[in-house]
Amino acid sequence: MILQTESPLPDVLADLLGLSGFGVAGEFVAALIAAFIVGNVMLAMTGVAGPWAKRKITAKFTDRIAADRIGPAGIGTIPADALRLLSKELIVPEGADRPAWDIAPLIVAGSAMLGFAVIPMGSGIQLADPEVGLAYVFAVASIASLGMVMAGYASNNKYSMLGALRAVAQNLAYEIPLVVTGVSVVLFTGSLRMSEIVAAQQETLISVGGIAIPSWFAIVNPFAFVLFLTANIAEVGRNPFDIPEAPTEIVAGFQTEYSSVYFVLLYLGEFLHIFLGGAITAVLFLGGAAGPGPESIGFLWFVVKIWAFFLLTQWLRSAAPRLRIDQLIEVGWKGMLELSFLNLVLTAVIVGVVA
Amino acid sequence: MSLQEESETPEIESGETELEALLDDLIVDTDDHENAPAFVIRPDTVQETLGRLKNEAGYDHLSLVTAEEYPDRYESIYHLKKFDDPTDEVSIVVPTDSENPVSESAEPVFRTADWHEREAYDLVGIEYDDHPDLRRILLPETWQGHPMGLDYDQDRPQMVPLRENANPLQDDHRSDADSDTMFVNIGPHHPATHGVLHLETTLDGEQVVDVEPDIGYLHRNEEQMAQNGTYRHQIMPYPDRWDYISAGLLNEWAYARAAEDLADIEVPEYAQIIRTMGAELCRIAAHMLAVGTFALDIYGDFTAIFMYAIRDREKAQNILEDLTGQRLMFNYFRLGGVVWDLPEPREEFFEKVRTFVNEIPDALEEYHDLITSNEILQMRTVGTGILPEEVAKNYGATGPVARGSGIDYDIRRDDPYGYYDELDWEVPVEDGCDNFSRLLVRMREVEESAKIIEQCVDLLEDWPEDERNIQANVPRTLRPDDDKEIYRTVEGAKGELGVYIRADGTEKPARFKIRSPCFSNLQTLPEMSNGEYIPDMIAALGSLDIVLGEVDR
Repeated sequence: MILQTESPLPDVLADLLGLSGFGVAGEFVAALIAAFIVGNVMLAMTGVAGPWAKRKITAKFTDRIAADRIGPAGIGTIPADALRLLSKELIVPEGADRPAWDIAPLIVAGSAMLGFAVIPMGSGIQLADPEVGLAYVFAVASIASLGMVMAGYASNNKYSMLGALRAVAQNLAYEIPLVVTGVSVVLFTGSLRMSEIVAAQQETLISVGGIAIPSWFAIVNPFAFVLFLTANIAEVGRNPFDIPEAPTEIVAGFQTEYSSVYFVLLYLGEFLHIFLGGAITAVLFLGGAAGPGPESIGFLWFVVKIWAFFLLTQWLRSAAPRLRIDQLIEVGWKGMLELSFLNLVLTAVIVGVVA
Repeated sequence: MSLQEESETPEIESGETELEALLDDLIVDTDDHENAPAFVIRPDTVQETLGRLKNEAGYDHLSLVTAEEYPDRYESIYHLKKFDDPTDEVSIVVPTDSENPVSESAEPVFRTADWHEREAYDLVGIEYDDHPDLRRILLPETWQGHPMGLDYDQDRPQMVPLRENANPLQDDHRSDADSDTMFVNIGPHHPATHGVLHLETTLDGEQVVDVEPDIGYLHRNEEQMAQNGTYRHQIMPYPDRWDYISAGLLNEWAYARAAEDLADIEVPEYAQIIRTMGAELCRIAAHMLAVGTFALDIYGDFTAIFMYAIRDREKAQNILEDLTGQRLMFNYFRLGGVVWDLPEPREEFFEKVRTFVNEIPDALEEYHDLITSNEILQMRTVGTGILPEEVAKNYGATGPVARGSGIDYDIRRDDPYGYYDELDWEVPVEDGCDNFSRLLVRMREVEESAKIIEQCVDLLEDWPEDERNIQANVPRTLRPDDDKEIYRTVEGAKGELGVYIRADGTEKPARFKIRSPCFSNLQTLPEMSNGEYIPDMIAALGSLDIVLGEVDR
């Protein structure tokens, strides 16, 4: 990986803390600190989303109140839940295939964390900006499927096994349309580098009555945006594509046998994946951290965008029925794949004619 | 109530001679059941007799199989009806000797007899020749004795060593490496079984090769409990515990109807209207839950539609609470009427009911927007869980399940009781035979129930003050004549809910048999789901809307 020298977070930190004088060791320490910051910001968001925001959002959709016992608006339920989940007994099923069973939750949670390494979050927060950033982020995000298969297979539970098989089938069905649609964005920008994809969206598309509409790819090519969003929701495994979990059919699928810390890790992984999905969508189609106001508050806009994506997943959860696995595969292979290639060809033609 | 029955008597009489001609060589004796001619036949001519009745006389609905033990013999009674006209009933009585109680199975003629005869074998101890799978159904395989038999020893220990107990995991195909199929136990604890139901499922990948419902986890022998209670007061609380999904008043009516006909009790008209209103409120509450949980099975989460359905069900529950004083176990009916009058101030109560009823169309519109017009839900439910009309009839399916398969059959209209025949309403029928049709039938039934309730409120409001008679004058102790037998059904939330009572001259019934609609409906699950995907089986199970309390009794 070639690190772009412009100003990724580790370099800024190294300069700030005077670590640049220590050579490679200094860079390493700076990178560690930067990764620690980014990781914790994401984990904190997950912590808010999982035990609290998810409940509150779903409750609003379904005419309920949800958590309101501890603290204002029930926000104190977050530490309480964290304590509750971590203090539960860790039950290891008989015949579980260890250590695969133990590693799986780490892979699910870890793969999502890795993805954030290349996301430009605005306000100068970006760990690394490799030339192949987009390919990297797609690659690590789909490692999660491997974790799900491991979890399902190692659990020695038939429901989990079914969930794992469903995860694989689903992964194959949506991953290609997802990447191909992503490639159509690359055709516009001519680069896989995340910062350049964001930069390409900063120009003004048209000005309507003094309001400049930026050339976000969601506005330039809404068709690709919708396609990408659909595939992305399948990627993060949310309704109506929560088929590998399907609580009413296969009882949470690959995570049936997990409890306590491992369960928390799996759940954490799922929420991180939702946020990563939101981050990729924001970078590719919503101008990254762009928004009104000075560039220094870009991070706020970025957070707003990924939370909007989170809100969308929760909205779907409250409103959309689940597809059957064969229907999803049909949608993936017979619908989205064709549409994504059509979109790619059209984009190529447009880019070829305009440029 | 008995008004209608009296007018039907001649029809039955004329049918009786025809039947006698049809079954001439098979009839050994006749019996006098209260509202159906009863013919006694030999135990080896069951299939012949039922076959003729089904194919030549049109008795295509085996409603119930009652088994009982007398000091000198066992008896199986096949209660037959017509789907076209449920008032046209006939009972076939099959006595077998007490030493060797073997009777021919009716399963080749009526598929539904499978489970009913297994139950008869399990609880009473009659064996059925030619039965495809004569095992215990409600009690564990290892149970000692037959609890409804006369010589049953209650104190006999039922402890069975683990090694003798059937291990549900033993059939696991793990050892059979060449097998393409996988055996999965769905339940007894599973989010989609709506209670303690165990589905022994064989899967080929995602497809269901075979599913066998294993029931009885909630079996309390409600029949025996009723047999130990007196007619007048002690039996009425039990029906609330059959279908406990707020369908209590509907269940109570099943007992009330049978017992009132048995003891010739005339219910005042005013009480009948209150009963009708209460029963329809229960039906709305039950169907709301059915729609909500069906959506839960399809959506997979506690989504908006589930919460909305529960919210609207809550309104019905609040009205029922005002009316009966209870939210779940109402115990509101009494033989000869209801326990107390409408709550005071009456205007306030009527206002509350009116508001509720007026909100129903809007609520249903919201449901239609949320679920039935949702394309994904249509993808999932249209054309899945197919139950063809003939199959449904063969399995004795009733209620919304039958009406979703195009069978125009509703006891409220076809064998009227209460105040239903005085009111203006319709029976919704859909002929899609799939999960979607069953959902639509339930939603349309809610609309019809609302209509009925509105008309009841109008009637109750204008009822003359001095004729507000809530209970007939019923003797403190009821002792129906010896050997009087009756089988009566009502339209419960899930279908035809019936009660068979045999009196023996005492104040307690000698035999009390419940016809549970869920029991018969659940039997159709393999027909609907074999060869389908797991999610479709879950959807089909949800669309059957079973309550295990009623299946297992």
